[in-house]
Amino acid sequence: MKTRVLLFVATVAARPPVVGAQHAAPLQSPGGRALTPRDSAAHALNRLAYGPRPGEIERVARAGVLRWIDAQLTPDKIDDNDLARREREFAVLEYDRGDLATLYAEVQRARQERKRMGDTAADKPDDSPVAVKGRRFAAQVQQLAVVRAALSARQLYEVMVDFWANHFNVYFAKGADRFLTPDYIEHTIRPHAMGRFEDLLIATAQSPAMLFYLDNWESVAPGATPPRAMRLQARPLFGRRPALFPPPRDRVPMDSLRPRAPKGINENYARELLELHTLGVDGGYDQHDVIEVARIFTGWSIRRPQQGGDFEFHDWAHDTGDKQVLGLEFERGQGMDEGIRLLKLLANHPATMHHLSRQLCQRFVNDDPPDGCVDDAVAAWQRTHGDIREVLRAIFHGPDFWAAANVRAKVKTPLEFVVSAARAVAADPDTTPRLAQVVARLGEPLYLHVAPDGYPEREDAWVNSGSLLDRMNAAVALAAGRLPGAAVALDSVAPDTVDVQHLIAAIDDGILGGTMSQNTKRVISEQLSDVKDPVQARALAIGLAIGGPEFQRQ
Amino acid sequence: MTISRRVFVKSGGLALFSLGLDPLFLARAAFAVRPSARPPDRRILVCLFQRGAVDGLNMIVPHGDPLYYRERPRIAVPGSDVVDLDGYFGLHPRLAALKPLWDSKRLAAIHAIGSPDATRSHFDAQDYMESGTPGVKATPDGWLNRYCQHDREHEDTPFRAVAFGPELPRILAGSAPSLAIADLQAFGLRAPQPAARDRLTRAFEELYAGSATGLLSTSSQEAFQAVQTLQRVDPTRYQPANGADYPRGRLGKAMLQIAQLIKADVGLQVAFADVTGWDTHVNQGASEGQLAARLAELGQTLTAFAQDLGDRLDDVVVLTMSEFGRTVRENGNSGTDHGHATAMLVLGGPVNGGRMLGKWPGLDPANRFEGRDVAVTTDFRDLFAEVLARHLGASDLSAIFPGFTPDSARFPGAISA
Repeated sequence: MKTRVLLFVATVAARPPVVGAQHAAPLQSPGGRALTPRDSAAHALNRLAYGPRPGEIERVARAGVLRWIDAQLTPDKIDDNDLARREREFAVLEYDRGDLATLYAEVQRARQERKRMGDTAADKPDDSPVAVKGRRFAAQVQQLAVVRAALSARQLYEVMVDFWANHFNVYFAKGADRFLTPDYIEHTIRPHAMGRFEDLLIATAQSPAMLFYLDNWESVAPGATPPRAMRLQARPLFGRRPALFPPPRDRVPMDSLRPRAPKGINENYARELLELHTLGVDGGYDQHDVIEVARIFTGWSIRRPQQGGDFEFHDWAHDTGDKQVLGLEFERGQGMDEGIRLLKLLANHPATMHHLSRQLCQRFVNDDPPDGCVDDAVAAWQRTHGDIREVLRAIFHGPDFWAAANVRAKVKTPLEFVVSAARAVAADPDTTPRLAQVVARLGEPLYLHVAPDGYPEREDAWVNSGSLLDRMNAAVALAAGRLPGAAVALDSVAPDTVDVQHLIAAIDDGILGGTMSQNTKRVISEQLSDVKDPVQARALAIGLAIGGPEFQRQ
Repeated sequence: MTISRRVFVKSGGLALFSLGLDPLFLARAAFAVRPSARPPDRRILVCLFQRGAVDGLNMIVPHGDPLYYRERPRIAVPGSDVVDLDGYFGLHPRLAALKPLWDSKRLAAIHAIGSPDATRSHFDAQDYMESGTPGVKATPDGWLNRYCQHDREHEDTPFRAVAFGPELPRILAGSAPSLAIADLQAFGLRAPQPAARDRLTRAFEELYAGSATGLLSTSSQEAFQAVQTLQRVDPTRYQPANGADYPRGRLGKAMLQIAQLIKADVGLQVAFADVTGWDTHVNQGASEGQLAARLAELGQTLTAFAQDLGDRLDDVVVLTMSEFGRTVRENGNSGTDHGHATAMLVLGGPVNGGRMLGKWPGLDPANRFEGRDVAVTTDFRDLFAEVLARHLGASDLSAIFPGFTPDSARFPGAISA
């Protein structure tokens, strides 16, 4: 196995959630006073968006923060041409699942060829054009997430895309998910991010990426065997390649060219569907329910997975017995409709409403979500049958969202930190994957969380000594314009003035929304005291402000 | 509002420290951990993951079994090349450098070890070996991290748990603080000149000391402590001792830096490094070739590490692991495919060395797993649990390996009593 020559570089950085208690810092400002329009705008921009761009706090405050929030809740009506122009530079978007599968197979063949030629240095990267292209595409997929978050005018929509990509986590480096994940983000998550939860849930259940990630594609009723035609169809795509998709880390041995014997029921998807995607771990189901759910989803598979095929229901693999889930009968003989019925039931189950509402309140309000926020969200869910926009609206209009105790109470995740920093300095990131690499360096390599629970939301998963130092380094490098592919426009933040106090005030205002502490002001001003060049001084001051403690909060 | 245990321990420890009291007192009161029999403070565990599934049969060769030669006509290591260990097993010739460590009873090997889960997927099997929960994918943290969470006897220094590599591996994921370090020399603030770097470091230190709250405050204090410590250690000037010569490459560099941290006494307790290139489906080679080159790097690295540490090896155990083994029979490409059980090495002063551990099921097809692979006779958790308990003094093994009932009767006997 040579991870470096894989099409998509496999790196694992699982960061688990911490169950239990939470630590919230005492609020430094605005000291319990009612939020001013500028405070409110800064708060909304920190939570519904990836932080303010220069001048944005002022603009949102002037337009009215509630009006801005309502606009964000209807993203389709927001013009996003600037982002669209940038997206066209991402060549990977022109490739569909099938194209990427073909590219992947080419990389594999080139790799095999190299091996046969005896070029076996294990740690040497494969520099063949096709391998380089594969790596570039993988990096583009991650960078695209950062670019969209940084540049999109539909900020809340991009926040929700990240939320759902995490909630319905897949692992980019697992076998076929190397070529299925880009499609999953584009065509499963993004179209449903602000729609009805039920539609999103069904879309994920039928997505090849999820079917592969949680193994449901090979879950068959015990004793079921594929029809003869199907076995023929499953012949190797390329000469000696085995019948089933063989990713480099999951290579099927050459001696298994014979059709693989169906393995029986796989409970993996069923379990995570109940525990993570819908009801929650305390959602009132038991092991028997897991098995019954797994039986219902037997036959939910992928057509020609090695070619990047679509969802396909295999009648022959489906368990034809009666099933019972959460005390409800699922009469035999309904085939795929059993699964659809079950997903609709789960999507609108009270435990699901509560579980999801809690997670949304955790994302938008506090690591320890207030009960009031959760109740408001659940009520909206019930009223609108899981219209995600209305659930969000209820959260943003609720008192908890605006409570002083919840303002700046959350620490930014690595993605939030990097994107908010890029926005703060009006960066215009291109396809160069540098910002995505920084996000990875800080502990959150995108789409590479191996466990199905997705990246955690709580601060204790992200704040540690190593990653804090990395945040400081990233801040200094970004402000100094040293991150390739992320041109900054510091003129829009503050003038290159020799008046240090004026400079600091502009940074406090534009980047920190007026929350810069006296200590931070003093330290920055001391650091600038002997820096003669105003351009250098400005970059240093901004680097310190972004790497400093205030900017880590949102 | 409740406070997370991590913050509690950290801030509690710091507060008491400034009052001149023993911070451990508080940790004990908080978690009611009984003091272990021996002070584990200086004891260190290094885990080395061979990613890609090493061919245990060509690493620790059963040269006394004719079946081995019958099944591997092109890739078997000839008996004349094997470095014999006990008349039946022997080291691959490119691991010969390890033989003196075997002779001085500081190296043991265990065969037929692996996972109770039957998966032959690298992805799943590595996941299980690192989470410590075979068959359960949803386990959020890794077993090395859970060890750090549960054993509060050892202080959480910034360098308590360190993985060498760009990102934190699954095995160290979790709520206990752990560091991923790609390069010790690059840890800390970066600036072109040392003076500029020191100045930037001071500036950020003041920023955080004066304005940070909560976890940002405690973590930043740790960070600057660690930076200071490393400045004292000065990784740029490190010279391995006793003529130790680490091979070039990622593995040699990682183990050199681990040795350096051990000798610097910065509170390192668990370290992790990994090395790829073991997935030998094609042209595996025998005494020479692809696998031999990887084994040579491994053997030279371990030998250099042991030499470099000198007496400090008395406190250190190095444990190698790999997600599964490979087929007994060679395939049509002069390689081997994904199998089941494999072999692991245990090296260090506390090791009950010079012995083959585990129960050898033999290569007879009737005793193989699914008729083709070496069967697992030792659950990898039995070995890991023994090392944690007998070497590091862990007391709460069932919390570290949930769903598993640790039983000292099943310990393979890798650590001297």
